[in-house]
Amino acid sequence: MLRHTTKETLIALALVTPFVAIYGLVFVYPTIKMFLLSFTDAPLIGPGEYVGVENYTRLTSDRRFDTAFWNTAYFVLLSVIPGTFAALGIALGVERLGGRLQSLVLALFFLPYILPVSVVYLIWDWTLNFQFGIAMHVFDLLGIQRVPIFKSTAWFMPAVALVTIWWTSGFSVLLFLSGLRAIPKEIYEAAALDNASRWTTFRRVTWPLLWPVTALVLTIGLIAQLKIFDQVYLFSTGGRPNDNMVMVYYIFQRAFQSDQGGRAAAIAVVLFAIVMIVSVLNFQLMRLSRGRA
Amino acid sequence: MNAVWRFGAVAGVAVLMAGSAAAQETVVWWDFLSGGDGVRMKQLIEQFNAEHQGEVVIDATTLEWGTPFYSKVQTSAAVGEAPDLMTYHASRIPLAVQQGILQEITAADWEAMGLSPSDYDPATLDAVTSDGKQYAVPFDTHPIVLYYNKDVLGEAGLLTEDGLPKGLESAEAFTATLQALKDAGVQFPMGSVTADGNFMFRTIYSLMGQQGGELMTDGEFLAGDNAEKLQNALSVLAGWTEAGLQSTYTDYPATVALFTSGEAAMMINGVWEVPTMMDLQSQGQLFEWGAVELPVIFEQPTTYADSHSFAIPANQGKEMTPEKRAAVLEVVGWMAKNSLFWATAGHIPAYGPVTQSEDYKAMQPNATYSALTANMIFDPKTPLAGVAGPIFDVMSTYFVPTLNGEMDPAEAVEAIREELNDLN
Repeated sequence: MLRHTTKETLIALALVTPFVAIYGLVFVYPTIKMFLLSFTDAPLIGPGEYVGVENYTRLTSDRRFDTAFWNTAYFVLLSVIPGTFAALGIALGVERLGGRLQSLVLALFFLPYILPVSVVYLIWDWTLNFQFGIAMHVFDLLGIQRVPIFKSTAWFMPAVALVTIWWTSGFSVLLFLSGLRAIPKEIYEAAALDNASRWTTFRRVTWPLLWPVTALVLTIGLIAQLKIFDQVYLFSTGGRPNDNMVMVYYIFQRAFQSDQGGRAAAIAVVLFAIVMIVSVLNFQLMRLSRGRA
Repeated sequence: MNAVWRFGAVAGVAVLMAGSAAAQETVVWWDFLSGGDGVRMKQLIEQFNAEHQGEVVIDATTLEWGTPFYSKVQTSAAVGEAPDLMTYHASRIPLAVQQGILQEITAADWEAMGLSPSDYDPATLDAVTSDGKQYAVPFDTHPIVLYYNKDVLGEAGLLTEDGLPKGLESAEAFTATLQALKDAGVQFPMGSVTADGNFMFRTIYSLMGQQGGELMTDGEFLAGDNAEKLQNALSVLAGWTEAGLQSTYTDYPATVALFTSGEAAMMINGVWEVPTMMDLQSQGQLFEWGAVELPVIFEQPTTYADSHSFAIPANQGKEMTPEKRAAVLEVVGWMAKNSLFWATAGHIPAYGPVTQSEDYKAMQPNATYSALTANMIFDPKTPLAGVAGPIFDVMSTYFVPTLNGEMDPAEAVEAIREELNDLN
């Protein structure tokens, strides 16, 4: 049969065009504009004068940018790896249950994931509020000094990381569960016949076979947590916003509170570059380690 | 046939539209009033609409207070989609003028509204003025005041014959009152919003003003001895924390709850909490209470205030018709003249003839604290100032640790000065 190559090309084009057009309009075009904006002194709305790389050079001596950068890195460290392991632990536990009980427990762990961030904030504020939080009454009962968790810099990031893990781990649990179910039962049977201990079975069978899913969960978490904003914004409202600054919050502050679109764009470009570099590094590392496993 | 029919329909619609336009102007209105004052504003709007049936109708929308409101106004004015009239904080006007999103209020406008600038307190009027031009019409001022529990203070023998707290005249005397309350077994003599530095800015800036201090002098933050004055103000409040006289790490709602539950005997808060107290008391759930101007901790009585004002957006590429502008001015003038009802929200009406009226003087505790109008200071005039502005965030970051005994006031002031000057 003869192939109508021109016709096929046309059909392919017609199918691809809507996506390319929308992608170009709402992603590529604004991204290019953002790069251009970062070289101007534009306010939030309207054009500005070209100022070269000044918006970038001043970041090197910008203390608040420093705070934002290190806080973001700290938050990623606190949330991504512990979050992945917490989800793995929960998935392994849920996997051992059966029938309705499994569905129920799974639902309980997944429930926080469907909550909007504002509700998450309220729940945890009711729990940890210094004057009226439920946890503080427990502290009083146990004779522990009350801790102003969201008002002290030492506790803030760990607490927000914990809340984030509580909030988002449900989705990772689902990914791990599907990964666990994809491991053939026969392998476990063979391991049992060889008298392998539970730990050896996990180390030699489960962990390597689950690695692709683990890598996926790590990557998704890494990219999501680099863009942390909502929780930090809500929990630090009125508290110590500039001490708890993270990258996206700083972009928001420069753009919407200080009306400095150009400077905000420069920070956004830096964050963009960081996400790109970290994702590529992450991907390469995962590939290497898989090769060894 | 078809074409004729279509033409007729179009003409008909056009006539209808023209007819309704001549008969009634719609004023699109945005505000950020969602609390107890929002309820009262809705009543005022309803009353206005009822009195102006067939002439002017207000189409009101309430939006999220703070940064979301001001971002939305700014972006919508840039594309010609801003409302015809909006509420605006006087403290945010310098930024709005820099962005070119407000229309000037001219002498002809004042006349059309039936108001005169001389009916307003000079400080309030100055707060809406930028480079000699007015950009808004003040509707109220909303300072902070000292709320106190008359029952508790009375029991401890800390009320004067006029029913005011003792010790309003100096730092020593006021601290002694707080200490006496503590000794009388009150858990928190002062309920203080110590977890929210944004809020504490109002108190601390007032205390700076009591020493004649300025936040910004010729574009420089905390110039000369102003840093020292800020440090003095912080030291007084940090001292209260150290002596266990005020609640620590308490956020805004918790502070109000501490006071209304009787656990805190006094509270420094905005006048907008007056309706909360009124409502609780009318339900028989509150003690006897009062509200009075802040104590004079330093040399002179001074209170920080902001003003809710009415501003007309400058819509890009969209000229306002004279009819529309007349309707907008009618709304603003009417609101000013009917602002006595607004006083029930705690705010002090900005329009002089209202606060000078006998009706207002009979209102309590409003009449007691409105004397502070003579001692008001407003935010420094810079695009960085005002509610939810960058200055607030810098202050908040250092006020919270200082007020809770984690940071030395001197260290905080040094950091604040550096960060404020970084903002430019």
